[in-house]
Amino acid sequence: MASLTGMRNRLVVAVFVALLATVWSVVPLLAGRSTVDMLVFAALYAIAGLGVAFLLGQCGIVSLAQNVFFGIGAYSTAYGATVLGWPAPASMIMGIVISGAIAAAVGVPVLRLSGYFLALATLALAVIGHVLFLEWDWLTGGTLGIGGIPPLSPLGYRINTPVRFYYFVSPILLVLILIHYNLLRSRTGIAMRAMRDAPSAAAVLGVNIARLKVKVFVSSAILGSFAGSLFAHYVSFVSVDSFGVDRAINFLLIAVLGGARTIAGTVLGALFVTALPNFLSRIGDVHALLFAILLIGAVIFLPQGFGGAVAQVWRHFGRRPDHAGRVTKGSPP
Amino acid sequence: MTSLLQVRDVAHRFRGLRVLKGVSFAVEEGSLTGLIGPNGAGKSTLFNIISGFLQPVSGEIVYLGNSITRLSIQDRSYAGLIRTFQTPQVFRHLTVRENLIAGCYKQGRSGIVASLLGLPAVRREFAGAAHLADETCAEFGLNAVRDQIAGRLPAGQQRLVELARAAASKPKLLCLDEPSSGLSSDEVTQLMAELRRLNKRGITILLVSHDMELMAVSSVIHVLCFGEIIASGGMAEVQANPRVREAYLGM
Amino acid sequence: MTMTLFLQSILAGLTNGFVYGLIGLGIAVVFRGARIINAMQGDFALLGSVVAYVVSTRLGVPMLPAFLTGVLAGGVLGLLVERLLIRPTEKRAGTEDSYLLVTLGGAFAVSAAVLLYFGRDSYVLNGIGGDASVDVLDAAIRVHAVWLIVISSVVVLALKLFYGHTRVGQAMLAASIDVDGSLTIGINVPLMRTLTFVTGGLMGGLAGVLVAPLINIHYEMGLLLTLKGFAAAILGGLISPVGAMFGGVLLGLVESLAVASVSSGYKDVITMVILILIMILMPQGLLGRRGRQGG
Repeated sequence: MASLTGMRNRLVVAVFVALLATVWSVVPLLAGRSTVDMLVFAALYAIAGLGVAFLLGQCGIVSLAQNVFFGIGAYSTAYGATVLGWPAPASMIMGIVISGAIAAAVGVPVLRLSGYFLALATLALAVIGHVLFLEWDWLTGGTLGIGGIPPLSPLGYRINTPVRFYYFVSPILLVLILIHYNLLRSRTGIAMRAMRDAPSAAAVLGVNIARLKVKVFVSSAILGSFAGSLFAHYVSFVSVDSFGVDRAINFLLIAVLGGARTIAGTVLGALFVTALPNFLSRIGDVHALLFAILLIGAVIFLPQGFGGAVAQVWRHFGRRPDHAGRVTKGSPP
Repeated sequence: MTSLLQVRDVAHRFRGLRVLKGVSFAVEEGSLTGLIGPNGAGKSTLFNIISGFLQPVSGEIVYLGNSITRLSIQDRSYAGLIRTFQTPQVFRHLTVRENLIAGCYKQGRSGIVASLLGLPAVRREFAGAAHLADETCAEFGLNAVRDQIAGRLPAGQQRLVELARAAASKPKLLCLDEPSSGLSSDEVTQLMAELRRLNKRGITILLVSHDMELMAVSSVIHVLCFGEIIASGGMAEVQANPRVREAYLGM
Repeated sequence: MTMTLFLQSILAGLTNGFVYGLIGLGIAVVFRGARIINAMQGDFALLGSVVAYVVSTRLGVPMLPAFLTGVLAGGVLGLLVERLLIRPTEKRAGTEDSYLLVTLGGAFAVSAAVLLYFGRDSYVLNGIGGDASVDVLDAAIRVHAVWLIVISSVVVLALKLFYGHTRVGQAMLAASIDVDGSLTIGINVPLMRTLTFVTGGLMGGLAGVLVAPLINIHYEMGLLLTLKGFAAAILGGLISPVGAMFGGVLLGLVESLAVASVSSGYKDVITMVILILIMILMPQGLLGRRGRQGG
């Protein structure tokens, strides 16, 4: 009896996934260019947002500094492509290395802080990053920015339309999400959540809290940088305006709205955060206000985010019979 | 029997107050040693010094013949010195099983990169930890709640989870901080049975508490009062000691 | 550095310092009274300055009432924040993170509302004494800035007296230190908490109307002010309004002198680095008093 329920649940999950895959592959053919464009941005922000969500949900760290690493990735690609003439992967790696190094260097002292202090320290970093992007215009072009970034051309195939980029970036996002699920089923993943829930107890079990925090911060920065590089290739023109504190807030909102504890929720959060301004563009700059209200609302009313709601449904199908043959109910985290 | 742990002349001051005044005692390997004292005696401070959460103003902690006074909490853990907490510190959002898997952290080796890549070694390691976790679950009678979120369990069961998790981390010296606080008398009896069982398995246990009843499991008891050891010995001996009676009756 | 430049830097640093101190004071007030770090403090200032601007330029109200309206607006916002943001979070068992995110959300909301209403332009509010300035040796300081310093100092002292010697002030402190004890002796703890936020809001509004004539009102000014005020508050031990003022002045002076040696574009970078250093190296404040454990 129990195994039949298990099989039924697995079937439902499989059908759901297949449906999702079909919808995903067909959307660009049915939707207009601007919709596909929006979906591409959603995917890019989801990648950066994944880093923030992971820090928040699995480690309990509020990071408002993701815009800095996003910018470093974008500018590395821009500079590498237009000034240095490097191939795309080289510039991307440069961005990742720089971001990782800065995250490590800054992370070691800063991540020792906790709670408010840490969050506000990351906000201070966001401001520093933004100002430096502005001041170092010999590197970044300042407000004038850097243009003429060529599109990605793996094996000579130019990814220069929204549709092509959509098919390119979605699998990348999926792979990154799966990678993070891998992390959850490892001692490092357990250690992170242990660190989040009870740092003293985690330390007693041998977890090096300080080092683990830095490692996660660095991987979050790498994600941000990677997303920034892809972003630069997509929009072909980058300027300081894209890498300010409001960008950092957006990433945080994606993490909070999406529900930081569920990784897939980040995708939902990114979709929401990207789609909303599009719908409201007629009304002017109102989306900033709406985002702020949503952030407040999410914290108060929906602490698990969209992802939490989805996770509840998911767990329903993930129920496993216990030793007595009864189905034990898993409660959402 | 050689001393597993030696506390040598440990003194500590806190905001001008002499909390510990030169405490010395030993925990013999394989024993179930108790450290008892009324509230305010300095037990928590001493406990935190032994477990690495506090650095003493003077004195030494010697473990397995080596001075560990400056050693980090994590290094002490790898040496087999594990502690629990006065309020059970379970990982609230993880299931009981995941809590126990966390207990097996030290037995693994894989890092963040290997974990992200989902290498087979990582999977095997995790499966091994899960297996050990399941065994520990059965051993402590936690099978019924194995997949439940630890933070939602009643306090008594959380304590058991914490104890099981500590056992899963393969301790040599298990230090328990007020393990009976918040437990019903039935739960205390069950706790005492668990402690005896773990001790028989070869785990040395240092029990710190103000609960005389719980202390009955100990073979040796040291009494701490106002920052000093005022008596040491077996249960009966200690209970008959006039200074001890004064300390407890006088409180 | 020439003497003139040095002197000018000192004056500018003092002026800025008192502003940071006022913001820091507001943060200290809220932290002392509610154990919550208000990430919106700088945006209380923004709102205060915006209201004063609208009331004076669009409605033609004279300066002093306009200023007062701005201050009051801050207080009203403080009240709204306590009712609409803090209480619901508390009711749902908010963690420290929740309060942070909620007040951050509030900060962004105010900033976004100003953006919506005003756009991305800067606006100038008329100050006391208009554009007149006072000469100090070879350097000059605006009359308004002098008033700013004077008013801030008076307010700090008034606040110290309020907390130390009035029943309401002491009740507010008691309510935050020992909730149960306060309830037992009949203190209306929720009301005290509301008053704390109102006071913080008033301080923020005051900071806003005082600083607006010196810098331009701009929708993004709130967050930066909050961060700098936070640095000031930490220097002062986080729970001391007087300490926050001292911290602010110190911060303003250091910032100003550093900027005089480097390009002014890096001003905010310098202050942000100082903030991070303060958090890491002296989270307990300059005197290492018992404040909140930062690490």
